Amino acid sequence: MSAPIDSPTRVTMPPALTPERPVAWPKRTVRTLGNGLQVVLAESRNFPKISAQLFFRSGNSLVALTKPGLADMTAGVVRAGTASRTSRQIEEDLRRMGAGLGSHSGADISAISAAGLAEFSGGILELIADLARNASFPEDEFERERRQRFEEVRVERTTPGFLANERLRAELFGGHPYSVVAPLPEQVAAYERADLQEFYRQHYVPSGSLLIVVGDFAAEDMLERIEKIFGDWKAPEAAVPEWPAPPHIHGRRVHLVHLPGAVQTQVLLGNLGINRRDAGWFELVLANAIYGGAFHSRLVLNIREQKGYTYSPRSSLHSLRQYGYFSVHAAVRNEVAAATLTEMFYELDRMRSLPVTSEELESAQSYLTGVFSLGVATQDGVLGQLSTIYLDRLAADYLETYRERVRRLTAENVMEAARAHFDSANAQIVLVGDRHVIARQAVLFGEVTEYNAPG
Amino acid sequence: MSSSPKKLHIPVEHTTLSNGLRVVASPDRSAPVVTVGVYYQIGFRLEPRGRSGFAHLFEHMMFQGSENAGKMEHIRLINSSGGVLNGTTNYDITNYFESVPSNALERVLWLEADRMRALKVDDENLRNQRDVVKEEVRVNVMNQPYGGFPWLDLPPIAFRNWPNAHNFYGDFHDLDAATLADVQAFFHAYYAPNNAVLLMIGDFEPAEAFALAKKHFETIPPQPLPPRADVSEPPQTEERRGHVEEKFGPLPAMAIGYTIPPRESPDWFAAAVLDPVLHGGRAGRLHRKLVLEDQIAVDLDGGADIFETNGPTQMVTRIFHKPEFTADQTIAVFDSVIREVQEREIPAEELDAVKVKLRSDFYSTLEGGMGAHMPRFGLMHYLACFTLFDGDPGRVNGILDGFTGVTASQVQAVARKMLVPKNRAIVLRQPSNLGGAQ
Repeated sequence: MSAPIDSPTRVTMPPALTPERPVAWPKRTVRTLGNGLQVVLAESRNFPKISAQLFFRSGNSLVALTKPGLADMTAGVVRAGTASRTSRQIEEDLRRMGAGLGSHSGADISAISAAGLAEFSGGILELIADLARNASFPEDEFERERRQRFEEVRVERTTPGFLANERLRAELFGGHPYSVVAPLPEQVAAYERADLQEFYRQHYVPSGSLLIVVGDFAAEDMLERIEKIFGDWKAPEAAVPEWPAPPHIHGRRVHLVHLPGAVQTQVLLGNLGINRRDAGWFELVLANAIYGGAFHSRLVLNIREQKGYTYSPRSSLHSLRQYGYFSVHAAVRNEVAAATLTEMFYELDRMRSLPVTSEELESAQSYLTGVFSLGVATQDGVLGQLSTIYLDRLAADYLETYRERVRRLTAENVMEAARAHFDSANAQIVLVGDRHVIARQAVLFGEVTEYNAPG
Repeated sequence: MSSSPKKLHIPVEHTTLSNGLRVVASPDRSAPVVTVGVYYQIGFRLEPRGRSGFAHLFEHMMFQGSENAGKMEHIRLINSSGGVLNGTTNYDITNYFESVPSNALERVLWLEADRMRALKVDDENLRNQRDVVKEEVRVNVMNQPYGGFPWLDLPPIAFRNWPNAHNFYGDFHDLDAATLADVQAFFHAYYAPNNAVLLMIGDFEPAEAFALAKKHFETIPPQPLPPRADVSEPPQTEERRGHVEEKFGPLPAMAIGYTIPPRESPDWFAAAVLDPVLHGGRAGRLHRKLVLEDQIAVDLDGGADIFETNGPTQMVTRIFHKPEFTADQTIAVFDSVIREVQEREIPAEELDAVKVKLRSDFYSTLEGGMGAHMPRFGLMHYLACFTLFDGDPGRVNGILDGFTGVTASQVQAVARKMLVPKNRAIVLRQPSNLGGAQ
């Protein structure tokens, strides 16, 4: 190895950053087919793979108040058979193309995604199209899937993180469909095959839907191929309603979910807020990074690195189609459940009362902008960013301008965002744990309502 | 309709510094980011007897401060450079890694060198991280349905030699017994440049990256390394079974493990192909039979970490089955699938498909592998394992040929040899309240 060698003196100060190299934001090819399907392509040619995802703008919120989880159940059975392929053929076709496939629904979307070797791009896209257009919902596959889900739901309902999230969403969203995150076992048992077929018929349509493909291909060739595979697919656009606003919540309340035998308390608090389409989103992202959204944030420093209450405290912003919400969580030893809440609120109120230091501000800005560029260095990362942009219908230059929009914010912007969206006075508090151990701590923070874990 | 397969070639350069530190670089200028890691050849298999969980507790201490970077400085410096960091403890390695914009490469190297040179921690740091680790164990194991299943459940049943068979996360009384003197002794024993490999992946010129590595690491003195613990297992003569109570979850579960052949042996390659024949998602024979066809199980997956271990390792199948079936009924159907691969060669079409999937999965791992913000983590991880265990990071470009060359008769032969009762262990994870929580 011949290279210039520095003298071997010890360097006792962290070296300065060298000049930044520009990020090459992925070039997008965007086209809407005649049938209304929006296609977004990005080349990423380091690895001979492709990653594709087809999104429909209908998810569990459409059925949350009537048949919770039905959209996700539909997505699950979509992969279990088409007019020309049995379930087994689908799985074997995937393996032959080195591909993996997922189909699921979130609150606002249903999606079919597949990733595999670029040499099988055509076959992978044809399979996605077959599932999207010709799913046959075989009776036996439906029954099998329903039983599997029934058991999965029973397991889910013994998981502290799930139980906390389910309760918080119910409290924050009241009668809005976002209030229901998952079905009860008996609701799964009541699913009928015809309900799935109806959801599929109405919502798995090209118009208004979105196909994103990232990977090792030439965009022009890929576009031509997609036109051939998806171009003759016709169906009327699905209507997605706007629901009335969730109720305003006044005052902190405590919701204690009793999990017998719990050796830890799952603490979760949150309040309603904005989503990514709101003009104040970037300010809030920055405030969240300083409060509890990064390893080097106030919350983590306080309750993990100073006090040792917990392993993985974090705060998060959740952006849904209609609304968003802010939440803070930590799994803590039972004796410090109240002390944890005290610190969470202290740090929230500090963000609302005092400007952050310039060192904190710059550090968080560098963190967000750096991590953003890390996030587009893989095919899946690019796919994730593009899905955010095109599902939320954000500005076409979102990628290119993100870092500038974060960098120009001030400490005053951060405090304003915290005042507006860290609503500590009206936050809803969820504690999942053994009531016999934590009830006396719970009452310190407001009126307590108790729930039993298994529903 | 498919185009011809492209063969991937990963550029790999490596050197060894005068203090024994191995340095591996893989340039990739497509994005202005780098992923850097230091891998030490010490894992929970090799932690001191009577100090279960110590290797992992120690990993936490490596974030608590070093000679010139105090507590939280490591995290602050990386986050404020626009990057993310983490560390993990594994059977035979402990790793520390960062992904950052490439203009922070030297800063990352400085930090990693600083903590390789000298750890600077005190009793308060130790108390703090002991508390944090206990909450980690509670949140991941003690307060979760199926926590620790089966990675903590199976080894004590499958193995007899303490390094392979103890509680890797640590008994709380062992964690409590750990002292600062233990921490420093462990550091001096294992955290030496001659027991590690430094990896740099991404946006740099290799010559510059090697020069920076030399500048920051070469003055760290090497240490005499302790003799490697004997991790060999005494011969197993019959199937081993054990039970673990499931406190929360309503479903009976089990894990079935078979010890795989030694690393890089011909049988090891065959076992690596056999693994996805059996597991391999929903096309795998076990999932197809137990979940899709017979519908005894509601979930089944499994596999072996073939690259990242360097000692007795199992290929493990995890099964969650319906409460109306007994464990024995479930095992009987599992065994019928095992008999099939022993009695008949797998068809050529299936063998080819499995190899295609192996290649595809290998590429996916190289590209990403640890969340959305650690580009090429998988490549780094494999390069580290190939360097530390096989002495050759260039294996990353040849290893697939080893799998491609495996024949159907070799798969059948390894199935007959490996998938036998005296090479397997079963743990039954049974709900204390079968039928679900009330």
